[in-house]
Amino acid sequence: MSAAIAPALPAETRAMPRLGTVLETAAAWLLGLVWVAPLLYAVWAAFHPTGYATRFDLTAPLTLANFVAAWNAAPFAQYFLNTVLLVSFVLAGQFVLCTLAAFVFARSASRLMGLLFALVLVQLMIMPDMLIVENYRTMRALGLVDSILGIGLPYVASGFGIFLLRQAFRQVPRELEEAARVEGCGTLAILLRVYVPLARPTYLAYGLTSVSYHWNNFLWPLVITNTVEVRPVTVGLAVFASTDQGIDWAIISAATLLSAAPLLLAFLLFQRQFVQSFMRAGIR
Amino acid sequence: MPITRRAALGALAASPMLAAPALRAQTPVEISFNYPVAVGGPITRIIDGYCADFETANPGIRVRPVYTGSYQDSITKALTAAKGGDAPQVACLLSTDMFTLIDEGVVAPWDEVEGVDRAWLDGFYPAFLENSRTGGKTWGIPFQRSTIVMYYNKEAFKAAGLDPETPPKTWEEQLAFAQKLTKRQGDQVTQWGIQIPSSGFPYWLFQALTTQNDVRLMNEAGDTTYFADPKVAEALQYWMDLATKHKVHPPGIVEWGTTPRDFFERKVAMMWTTTGNLTNVKANAPFPFGVAMLPAHKRPGSPTGGGNLYVFKSASPAQREAALKFARFLTAPERAAQWGIDTGYVAVSPAAWETPKMKDYVAGFPAAAVARDQLPHAVAELSTHENQRVTKALNDGLQAALTGRKQAGPAMADAQAEAERILRSYRG
Repeated sequence: MSAAIAPALPAETRAMPRLGTVLETAAAWLLGLVWVAPLLYAVWAAFHPTGYATRFDLTAPLTLANFVAAWNAAPFAQYFLNTVLLVSFVLAGQFVLCTLAAFVFARSASRLMGLLFALVLVQLMIMPDMLIVENYRTMRALGLVDSILGIGLPYVASGFGIFLLRQAFRQVPRELEEAARVEGCGTLAILLRVYVPLARPTYLAYGLTSVSYHWNNFLWPLVITNTVEVRPVTVGLAVFASTDQGIDWAIISAATLLSAAPLLLAFLLFQRQFVQSFMRAGIR
Repeated sequence: MPITRRAALGALAASPMLAAPALRAQTPVEISFNYPVAVGGPITRIIDGYCADFETANPGIRVRPVYTGSYQDSITKALTAAKGGDAPQVACLLSTDMFTLIDEGVVAPWDEVEGVDRAWLDGFYPAFLENSRTGGKTWGIPFQRSTIVMYYNKEAFKAAGLDPETPPKTWEEQLAFAQKLTKRQGDQVTQWGIQIPSSGFPYWLFQALTTQNDVRLMNEAGDTTYFADPKVAEALQYWMDLATKHKVHPPGIVEWGTTPRDFFERKVAMMWTTTGNLTNVKANAPFPFGVAMLPAHKRPGSPTGGGNLYVFKSASPAQREAALKFARFLTAPERAAQWGIDTGYVAVSPAAWETPKMKDYVAGFPAAAVARDQLPHAVAELSTHENQRVTKALNDGLQAALTGRKQAGPAMADAQAEAERILRSYRG
């Protein structure tokens, strides 16, 4: 009896981690499937005639007609250009402003800076949508209603970006800064040659979240713009949300894929870098 | 059109400040027109075309169309812009947003615009004007208006041994037909008898049931609701029973957006949805279909729905006149008829239905006239002060009942209590 039990024990303890891994892997697959399901559906609906939108049939004819119809229903080329201009402007502005602010907050020991930093953090607690009327007034006073600058400007000073970069800068050892100073670097050179390169993963990770947020942002761009010349692609997509007539899933899926494609492609191509920088920057 | 022009010239001559018509003609009046895209595809091109035609006919006026997404997004945009001191001059917004827009103090009544023509204001169907007037003033001009009708699959009727030319006329018939039309394979239902959508804005479809049960949901002043009336709970019980007791209607929440597709794919034989879907169904149904008035109970009935044209307070007198001309242009019988044919919305005035174009269309496609014939029985869509919050109270109650979390009576009593709490302060 005892001899039968004794060898069973180590076998069980060996089985435990294996069971754990199996469960973990299964859970990861499940989550992954749940996450990717809407995307898979969109791909299915977009490449098949409308009649197959909710019917799964492997022999269903493939078609690109939905993409053609979607592309022709709105000036997507213009919308894409606008979106690219918008996210580049926002990202560039955020990098410059957040870097400068984060550097001060990271390296200043003054009490006042602590207080100011707390105020910046408060910004994280406020939903941007709540400020929509106030932002509109400001943009109107600046004469920026219906311009790409007007869409991006309220987001340029980002509390989240300042916070992330400050945390990254604080982890840079003082010795490096002192060494650079001995070599004759000024403050700005220290920032650009020591801090910024060391915080690269944070920049990449923050850049990705920022780009995807502004690529997908809808309400504010809709409110602040009036013309096709400045509207980003999400606002263009709204043309397909025809609630009064029932939704044509095939065309709306095609249009959604079109507008999400650049982001998806970028993610697939740079997947490894993104994941690594997220791990290092601690955003998960 | 000549009346307004004469009136405008009269106003010009009378006012010495503006007695420089040459100068006025040189600087065009510009108005921006916010338009929500609630119907699919090339709709923006139709509107662009209208604006261009209008400018050709009125060289002194520029109209800038601004497309604003769904009705929800549109009211957000219009109110934000108005608060920011940058309101549009004309906007097409839900007729039910009337009280909200008045309470926010951003719109002006059309009756007070220089050169307005009473006969034109009174020329729309009364059912549409119900949602456009309050306190004796006209705040909205009916433009893209709809109502609920029943679409049914004639093939399915034939297969179930029903006469495809005789849609159900009463609640009892509707139930009996639905029972015959529901097809089962074991426990699986392959074809439901009937579908009444309940996602998004269930109150609108529900209001058809309550109207048929001869009860109103709110008063004309928009400050009192009657959700706790036993007849309201009765109407809800009928809807719930279709799904739970008789099992001829899918259980739980039925998606609004996919109901037409379910109909095309023969998953449901009869559906309730907006007339705005007519063009879509005509283009996509792979079988002969019928359109019918909603079945009656104590009386026939349906709410109206859709968008009105509003003129904003911040517009200058010249812009308001231009807005008036534009509204008249959009609702002119010929154009209203063409708009109805292109989109499936109900042409808003009897005159539009008398145009040769519309008569030809109806002769070839009689289903188009069903919505018009139902209009005498139609009532104003639920609209109150703080409309969004009050309708949400009702929607929550309805969805709780339809998903089986509450009984009909208590669900409606709770909705009424919430509505009462919100509306109390609006009663003087």
